[in-house]
Amino acid sequence: MVVKELKKKRKVVEDEEDVLETYFPQNVGLELGSEDESGGEESEGEVDEFPELDPRSDSDEDGHAEEEDEGESEEDEEDEEDESEDNASEDISDDELRIFPKAKTVISDITGQPKRVYPPIEPDYDSDSSTEETPNRVGNIPMHWYDDLPHVGYDINGKKVLRPARGDELDKFLETVDDPNSWTTAFDKKAQSDKPLTSEELDLIRRLQENENPDAQYDPYEPTVEWFTGKGKEEIMPLSSAPEPKRRWVPSKWEKQKVMKIVRAIRQGRILPNKPKTTSDKPQFYAIWNEEPSTHPAPLPAPKPRLPTHAESYNPPEEYLPTEEEKKKWEETDKEDRERDYLPQKYSSLRLVPAYDQFIQQRFSRQLDLYLAPRIQRTKLQIDPNSLIPKLPSPSSLKPFPVYKSLSLAHEKRVRSISVSPDGGWVVSGDEGGVVSLWEVTVGKEVKRWKLTGKIGAIEWSPRIDVSFFVVGIEDHLHFMVPPNLPSNVLVATLDLLTPATLPPQPAHPSPVKWTSISAAAFAPEKPILTVELPPSSGVPKQITWHRRGDYLATVSGGEGQGGVWIHQLSRRHSQAPFKKIKGTVQLVLFHPTKPHFFVSTQRYVRMYNLAEQKLLKTLQPGIKWISSMDIHPLGDHLIVGGYDRKLCWFDLELSDKPYKILRYHSRAIRSLHFHPTYPLFASSSDDGSIQIFHSRVYNDLMTDPLIVPLKILRGHQIKEGLGVLQVKWVPRQPWLISAGADGNVATWFS
Amino acid sequence: MGRLKPKGKAGAARAYITRTAAVRKLQCSLADFRRLCILKGIFPREPRHRKRANKGSSAPTSFYYAKDIAYLAHEPVLRKLREHKAFAKKLARALGRGEWSSAKSLEDNKPVYQLDHIIKERYPTFVDAVRDIDDALCMIFLFASLPSDAKVSASLVENCARLAAEWQLYIVHTRSLRKAFLSIKGVYYQAEVLDQTVTWLVPYQFTQNIPTDVDVRVMLTFLELYQTLLGFVFFKLYADVGLVYPPPLDAKKDEGGAGVGAFTLQEVTSSLEGGSAPKSSLNGSNVKRASTKDVRQSIKAINASSTGDDTDMPDVDFAPAEVEEEFVPQASTSNPQETASLPTLQTLSSIPQSSTTKLFAPYTFWLSRETSRSIFEFLVRSFGGRIGWPVTSGSGSPFDESDESITHVIIDRPLVIREGETDEERERRQRRKYVQPQWIVDCINAGRILLEEPYAQGKTLPPHLSPFEDRVDAYDPTAELKVDDAAMEEDEEEEENEVEGESASEDEESAQPEKAALKAVSLAEDSAALRAAELEAEAAGVDPGVFEKELKKAKKAKVVETGKEVDAEEDMNKMMMSNKQRKLYERMKHGERKRAAERQVLETRKRSIEKEKKRRGKAAT
Repeated sequence: MVVKELKKKRKVVEDEEDVLETYFPQNVGLELGSEDESGGEESEGEVDEFPELDPRSDSDEDGHAEEEDEGESEEDEEDEEDESEDNASEDISDDELRIFPKAKTVISDITGQPKRVYPPIEPDYDSDSSTEETPNRVGNIPMHWYDDLPHVGYDINGKKVLRPARGDELDKFLETVDDPNSWTTAFDKKAQSDKPLTSEELDLIRRLQENENPDAQYDPYEPTVEWFTGKGKEEIMPLSSAPEPKRRWVPSKWEKQKVMKIVRAIRQGRILPNKPKTTSDKPQFYAIWNEEPSTHPAPLPAPKPRLPTHAESYNPPEEYLPTEEEKKKWEETDKEDRERDYLPQKYSSLRLVPAYDQFIQQRFSRQLDLYLAPRIQRTKLQIDPNSLIPKLPSPSSLKPFPVYKSLSLAHEKRVRSISVSPDGGWVVSGDEGGVVSLWEVTVGKEVKRWKLTGKIGAIEWSPRIDVSFFVVGIEDHLHFMVPPNLPSNVLVATLDLLTPATLPPQPAHPSPVKWTSISAAAFAPEKPILTVELPPSSGVPKQITWHRRGDYLATVSGGEGQGGVWIHQLSRRHSQAPFKKIKGTVQLVLFHPTKPHFFVSTQRYVRMYNLAEQKLLKTLQPGIKWISSMDIHPLGDHLIVGGYDRKLCWFDLELSDKPYKILRYHSRAIRSLHFHPTYPLFASSSDDGSIQIFHSRVYNDLMTDPLIVPLKILRGHQIKEGLGVLQVKWVPRQPWLISAGADGNVATWFS
Repeated sequence: MGRLKPKGKAGAARAYITRTAAVRKLQCSLADFRRLCILKGIFPREPRHRKRANKGSSAPTSFYYAKDIAYLAHEPVLRKLREHKAFAKKLARALGRGEWSSAKSLEDNKPVYQLDHIIKERYPTFVDAVRDIDDALCMIFLFASLPSDAKVSASLVENCARLAAEWQLYIVHTRSLRKAFLSIKGVYYQAEVLDQTVTWLVPYQFTQNIPTDVDVRVMLTFLELYQTLLGFVFFKLYADVGLVYPPPLDAKKDEGGAGVGAFTLQEVTSSLEGGSAPKSSLNGSNVKRASTKDVRQSIKAINASSTGDDTDMPDVDFAPAEVEEEFVPQASTSNPQETASLPTLQTLSSIPQSSTTKLFAPYTFWLSRETSRSIFEFLVRSFGGRIGWPVTSGSGSPFDESDESITHVIIDRPLVIREGETDEERERRQRRKYVQPQWIVDCINAGRILLEEPYAQGKTLPPHLSPFEDRVDAYDPTAELKVDDAAMEEDEEEEENEVEGESASEDEESAQPEKAALKAVSLAEDSAALRAAELEAEAAGVDPGVFEKELKKAKKAKVVETGKEVDAEEDMNKMMMSNKQRKLYERMKHGERKRAAERQVLETRKRSIEKEKKRRGKAAT
């Protein structure tokens, strides 16, 4: 149908052309072909409609289309004639022309009712394309409405069109394999089956794919047809017969008025015909600073460039002239890195001085500095650098403190721990080979030597004076040893304490720590009198620390993950782990000298617990990466913490969680710290092999800051395998120091 | 708790703006932005925290104060720059279409910006402006000596030369030059104007070419600003001393290469009277004078002018005479003492410059043709001297070579024996002093007339030292190395002693008690022990001189020891410094050490040079 209509239109155009031809009869013979003319004349009779101008009209096809049209119209006329005789051969679309075919009335087989049956339409060329194929008459509806039904619609007779059998996917696949044309088929929803595409449709698809015009007939390169332009086609007749207006030739009055206004202004000099240029060659200067300055502060003046020194002279003193190496070095350094932007030179007279080749560059760089460089205002410090050093009392006024090494005792292996007896007369030192030696402080004579198996991690003398013994920590064990040659009353008290005749009752919850002792009768100084067996694989006790009363002692073992902190009570022969769980690995523990407080140091923090109330009091943050040592001032208000990262932090416990002072003076890790129990001294030892003695005076009133004065650096220990002085301990009643080094020497330092 | 502040709404993020953002905000090109920054004196700032200022990014950018940029947005120059952009487009279109007349009218009405308001803004007071003209003067003097080309127009160079000449005239007129220094880069001058020291550098007179790695546009933008600034500053300076600005230029003289002399200074009053001729100022000023002394002087001046010598001289040479006698203190009837002690502007300004500014006043100089006229004419005239030059150095010399009044000839030539000299010439030559140019500058810097002898023609000149070196601990090349000399002598003596000692070792036994006595000296700590040691030494028969020496040595050793102790204590006290203090201390110490090392290097080099000289001298004798 569409095609037909199009053709009709073409015909109309053809007619139009004819009209034009009749309008301009004189040029027909020249331009148009004779066949066109004849065609036009033939169809002339039909022209009575609106002469529409179709831009798609083309002369070439016209002839062809016309011929077709001719045939068609003849057929149409024939149809019209047929119409009266046979309704069945009627074209439905042209309903203004044709009468609907007559229907027969028959009794329906299904309903038993009479129904009209129309004669089947002959599939003529002329017939409606919509009636051609589809038996399904459901119309344009969503086909999924029929999804659940066995049929897909109804044919023209109202009979169900059954759903064609569709195979499964495998069938589909086989079909695609078998049928070579399967790729040119498409699914037809109405029929619910695959229909092969016609060649026209395929051509259409191809055109669309190739971005061509979908109309196969379309010719983009049609020759133009000059309808109106060109020779002989000029319009010679006027469109309107109106007379020409006066304004076309009379000059405008208003324009004249305006021009005269300007002319008058020019004459009177109000408008200067050649205005003086806005760019006056010389800027006019006037007294710009005569009026009051604004209250705004003046912007900061640019810094002045440095003034020339003697070296820049054309005739400098000879010592300023650079040597060859200096010259070479200057030439090799980058321009920006040079300290001076010129090389000193000497000319014997002024007339020999050449032009300075870098002059413009240096001016330019100055200007770049002026507008591109950020400026910072700095206050110039006019102080003596030595005034920055704090003024502290002279060490000589703070005597006594240890000054020189008087004795030393050699162990074979590195000595990890030492301890001084509470009366200050004796020292025990334990090395990694398991040797414990007892010696006198003043003489340096070894009195006794024990040989134990395993490394000695810690050794600590009991703080009690009425009894005398010390604890040695080796692999998983704590051995209680009694020194020889004790006065009898002390020995008896010691034995009584360590191996009481009646053992205290076992606690309700037995701890994994076992206490075993030999009887007082079997006591011999060679053997430990009492042994505490820590839970297996808890490692070497790193630290043993006593409570000041001497009943409790705390140990820290390295091995176990649970912190390995144990508090042992001597009188009850009982051990308990105070912490079920603790964050981080415990490095050190410490009893407060006066209060029931307990310090636990992990790698980064020091926590302070109240043992009586069983709660956390404070967490101190020294800011040290790994804490190595810690000690508390005998008065109990100040704590020093040393770290492997060389820092020493002084905490005022009353003041803050942060250190009051951080000192960094050792060149290697700090290993050990110790406050003197009575003198205002403390010592620190480090892996750099030095021991540093400080005066540390703590005041009772809260307003005065503690005074810390470095007194002396003691050197004398060798560094061995990166380890220096491992432990320092003060002799209780003397300003003397005992130090144990990695080189196996234990030294005493006297004042 | 207050409301949470959103990020980037306050603080550094608002106070600073990056360059790109600034350009975008001002809607101008980067070149225009640069130009604005140069003209307005806006420079980047360094925020304390770059990250905070740049919204968390640490990309390298330059920051400006957001307020600076906000002020820029209202800048009339910015508007003019935008107009200029439109104008450039219009002009390009007109030219492209071949519309020459409209292009011409466009060109005539080109938008041009004024910088007056910027000058006032940047330098609210006159003193601010004077303090900041160093760079401007350097640029003006540089461009005055540049050849003009496509980038640097001839009118620009001419204007710079004019400004340079005006500045020199002013300095000469007010006698405010203080120091000068001949360096390898050029000549540094330092003047004192309104109590501000102004230092500028003038390149030697050679043709300079702008190198390719220099952005001329930037320099020209600076120059635009500097020309305007200097114009206003000079106007004010000239007005303050009662001179007409701009000073009229004598075109004929200028063509003759008179340089600074082509300008004539004109008093404001005389010009108001109507006498616009350059010479009339002289007469005008003479009219004002009243005292007999003045009359005498004016007669002398008229006589001088009648001889024809002085006719070409600009007024500058007479200016000091005028300055001298303007204020006559009138004794008041009521309290005569008060007025007598009343300080006037005249007396105040004459106090510091009384002697030094008239340094060359009694002398007359003749410039030899190989010396730079521009430098020495300026130097001599600003210290009151008269100077003449041969015609080859330019016209306008007030006298010629045969003038009898010439006392010094500035000459920079090696000494040659002249033949065919007439008696008159020889006599004249003997009467005059021939000095090398450095003498002038050294005299100025020393503030007195130095002996001409070391600077005589053909002599090796003494080193020319910078008058600007003022650091306290800097190396002083003029100072004698006394201490070190003493040390050296001592060393020598010691060497001798050692030799003696060796000889003495033979009779060691006899010397032993002496030695013991000397040892006692070195060990003696207090005065009593010292006295005892002395007695002992006497008893042993030690020479008192030797004893004294030993005593000194011992003392020195002791001092060293105590010094060491003190050092150790300080080292320990350094532990107690805070980190900040320690860093500051280390930095200061580093600087000190560096300076000391430099000094040391120079001193040792000087010593070695002197030794070399001595040796050569000995070898020569």
